[in-house]
Amino acid sequence: MNEPADHPKRRTDVNIRMVDGEVVVLDRQAGLIHQLNQTASYIWDRCDGQSTVAELAEQLAVAFDVDVNTAVHDVATIIVQLHRLGLIQSPNNMPGSP
Amino acid sequence: MSDALSLVIFGRHVRVQCQDAATRALFVAKYGHMQGRQGPVALQYAVGRQEETGGFFVGRAGQAPSMASDPGELLFLFEKDMTVELEKLRPDLYFIHAAVLAFGHEAVMLVGESGSGKSTTTWALLHHGCRYFSDELGPVDLQTGEVYPYPHALCLKDVPPGPYPLPTNTLYTAHALHIPTAALPSEVGEGPALLSAIFFVQYRPGAAAPAVQGLSKAEAAARLFANALNPLAHVGGGLDGAIEVSTRVASLRLFSGDLTATCALVKATLKSLLSNEEARRCLEEPCSHP
Repeated sequence: MNEPADHPKRRTDVNIRMVDGEVVVLDRQAGLIHQLNQTASYIWDRCDGQSTVAELAEQLAVAFDVDVNTAVHDVATIIVQLHRLGLIQSPNNMPGSP
Repeated sequence: MSDALSLVIFGRHVRVQCQDAATRALFVAKYGHMQGRQGPVALQYAVGRQEETGGFFVGRAGQAPSMASDPGELLFLFEKDMTVELEKLRPDLYFIHAAVLAFGHEAVMLVGESGSGKSTTTWALLHHGCRYFSDELGPVDLQTGEVYPYPHALCLKDVPPGPYPLPTNTLYTAHALHIPTAALPSEVGEGPALLSAIFFVQYRPGAAAPAVQGLSKAEAAARLFANALNPLAHVGGGLDGAIEVSTRVASLRLFSGDLTATCALVKATLKSLLSNEEARRCLEEPCSHP
């Protein structure tokens, strides 16, 4: 079974719009709106619960033409931020959890 | 004595039954520019002094009245209720908490949290060739991209600094200063104008100089949504409306400081943004402060 921390999955119960390559996320449950920069938007879009953090970093490195170490650092940082913002599903914020 | 005041706001007839001459004078000073009659009465209020307590009351037809301890609170309660009701009466408009000015036929919005200095900046900019639309409410028609005027008396929390003194007929209440539209140094908007630019204002006291910074459409949309007053009246919980507006206009962050320098920066920025000839002519007008 995929562990949420290893295979980040974006929340599906939020309103999402792409505006000029940046994602805007409306989290009505939390009463918050977020704007993600292009790097964060790219990662968010690929947080499907299947890809690992390492795989996301590899994809980012190719797409943004950066070295893998930088990409790993960026992905890890952004995943932590998305978790803190409650935008990545975790055992505590899965839809339907209390 | 009882005397009614009829207002037309966003094409809706608002009738305010004033129970005494002093209360009527207060409402004329605050809302006098919007006097008129158009269509059936959509909203009806009774306002006045409460003899027993020395306070005031404000009541919408069919609702229990609210009590206010002073004229400032009376205006606050009235405005709060009326704007919510107007949002219900015009769900087609996307209401944004913002100040609005117009240069020619192009409107410029100042968006910011309470205390960000948008009203003070508005007051100063009115000395620089623009027309007054509102210091509080920017209702946008999402079909046309136009913003409607809401020219109540401009409200300041403090005496403004710099070369923009208050006029003698400023109305002082317990917590605010109200400048009637007749005392403004500018003309007042009478009809909608095309929204062309939005400044998200942040006051930076003590900064060496004011500054502007471009914003992405996505960030502007998020910031606009956060200042939307009736998002749930619109598709997508209001998110699409904010995106619609942000993709049509130029959006900038304005770090305001010294008022004169801030006005000069806003005008210089708008000269490069506004394309309409009349708007550009307004921007060339000399400053009217003493």
